[in-house]
Amino acid sequence: MEKFDVAIVGGGPGGSYAAKTAAEKGLKTIFFERAEVPGNKNASGCGLGQRWWRDFPEMMEKITQLPSYREINRCSFIITDVDDRHITTIQTGRNSLPEKRIVYKGQNRGWTGASIYRSDLDKLLADTACSAGAELRTSTLINDLIMENGAVKGVVTDSGERIKADVVIGADGAHSAVAIKSGIRKRWKKNEVTLVPQIDFSCNESKMDDVIGNAEWVWFGPYCGAYQVNFRDGFHLGAGQWLDVWDGKPVDLLKQVMKIPLFQSMCRSIDAKIREFQIHLLPWMPEPGSKTYGNGVLLIGDAGGFPCPLEGEGVWHACWTAQLAIETAANAIGKGDVSEKSLSVYEKLWKESPVGKEFEYGHEYVNFWRNSAFNPEFMKKIVVLLGQLQAFNGPSLVFDWSDDHMTTFNEHLGYLLDVLADPEIKEFGSKYLAPMGRGISRENMEKIADMIVPSIASKIKVLPQSLIKKMFMKQYGKNKVSLQGRLSN
Amino acid sequence: MDGFVIQDYVYRAKNVDTGDFIQFNEEKCDGCGMCNSVCMANLWAVPKNNKTRLSPKYRELCLECAACYAVCNQDAIDFSYPKGGSGIIIKYG
Repeated sequence: MEKFDVAIVGGGPGGSYAAKTAAEKGLKTIFFERAEVPGNKNASGCGLGQRWWRDFPEMMEKITQLPSYREINRCSFIITDVDDRHITTIQTGRNSLPEKRIVYKGQNRGWTGASIYRSDLDKLLADTACSAGAELRTSTLINDLIMENGAVKGVVTDSGERIKADVVIGADGAHSAVAIKSGIRKRWKKNEVTLVPQIDFSCNESKMDDVIGNAEWVWFGPYCGAYQVNFRDGFHLGAGQWLDVWDGKPVDLLKQVMKIPLFQSMCRSIDAKIREFQIHLLPWMPEPGSKTYGNGVLLIGDAGGFPCPLEGEGVWHACWTAQLAIETAANAIGKGDVSEKSLSVYEKLWKESPVGKEFEYGHEYVNFWRNSAFNPEFMKKIVVLLGQLQAFNGPSLVFDWSDDHMTTFNEHLGYLLDVLADPEIKEFGSKYLAPMGRGISRENMEKIADMIVPSIASKIKVLPQSLIKKMFMKQYGKNKVSLQGRLSN
Repeated sequence: MDGFVIQDYVYRAKNVDTGDFIQFNEEKCDGCGMCNSVCMANLWAVPKNNKTRLSPKYRELCLECAACYAVCNQDAIDFSYPKGGSGIIIKYG
């Protein structure tokens, strides 16, 4: 029986990056992919954040050369009402500040993200791992492990071949056979995992450049929300929801968006046509799975529950945890001790890494989403509010400037006060905005107050910081919701 | 886009056997219907006053998301993936 130092289950970004890192360290490495070609079983957004330029810049340089690459430097949130009418668009993106937080080869990359098809990305990463000396077995499903006295000693392929390894890395996604067969965890609870249907559209590249440019789009309305990730000559329209709150077929969400006239006109203008339907599970939880290591085994990426609790981004997290898992495995193999205790260093490493930082406010992020974009009642109310505020932007009967300026300014002010005094808006605040704050834990309360109070104070110079902090703490500080059970509410 | 039919936009490896990758234990099933509500391929029929049924053609229709396994409170559904190299092919993931 052939024996390896490291056997990695899964040839997605996490598995391939782990294989590359392990091979570069001189470990005898094998990785397994159930598809005929890496990337042929994978669907995700798939946007890569700016932090790629900081943490994996050489890889990012190669990614920008791939056929489906589109540079992304802004995001448009398109808001529609109950009648599918376009209310307003909120834009985030590049500003003119000189600040350069991520610089690579002299260029500011702090605004530059990427959209890339997984069929391109996964192939590139797997090729990189093979070039580094890792062995790749494609068309090979691993659905069992070699277990001895509760310790993982290797993997069993779907044709029954047994392959031994000192350390097995579970990089096999949300539905991870490694996690379950090793006994590290059972399947995810329904409030820990989302189901994400996604439709791929083919488009005309140059028309996309003209109409969409370097942007991702997000659709928000009373139906909840959907993301539109734009590639060189196509886009993904997708939407997710936690399994504990499904009330119907998830694809209905996407059909809702496809009925919006603005969506249809966008499709006409870039020659968009439906090309493929995909659906996948995406772990989305306040903190990674209860355990990410076991006897002779480590879990990375989606298998470990690592996607970002704020935006569900997962490829960056997979590559980071891949590096840390291999660092742990290499040290353990060097010491001749791959026991659970020895591999527990992994948890310490990821908690101290930028990945751990993502989960410091995990409960707050997840609570925010569950109470906002994932709550249809919230979304119904927020579009009414945005519609009222939007009246300040464009021409309207009330603000048509046909009176003298002072009268018009007065009307503006009166309208704003009416909006704020509206019982519906008040109810919106107490019923829908307050629950987002209630997710904030006692221990994070002080930290968040210290972070946001100075920035408010810098804009409202008349109020002393101490007073703002007192007001903030008065609003949310009395909250005694325990950490446990917050998600079960 | 009104007549959008999911299976028209799914690609599959040809002439490769998937093997049996969903095991359904009828004894454990309590007929809650969650599998039916999450399945985009409509593989789970839950007729009233009758036993839940897995489509006999699931090997040719499954989209491999594993959601049925994830939602089953009774542990009546076991899901592994189709054999290596078989099943769906995602071209533009």
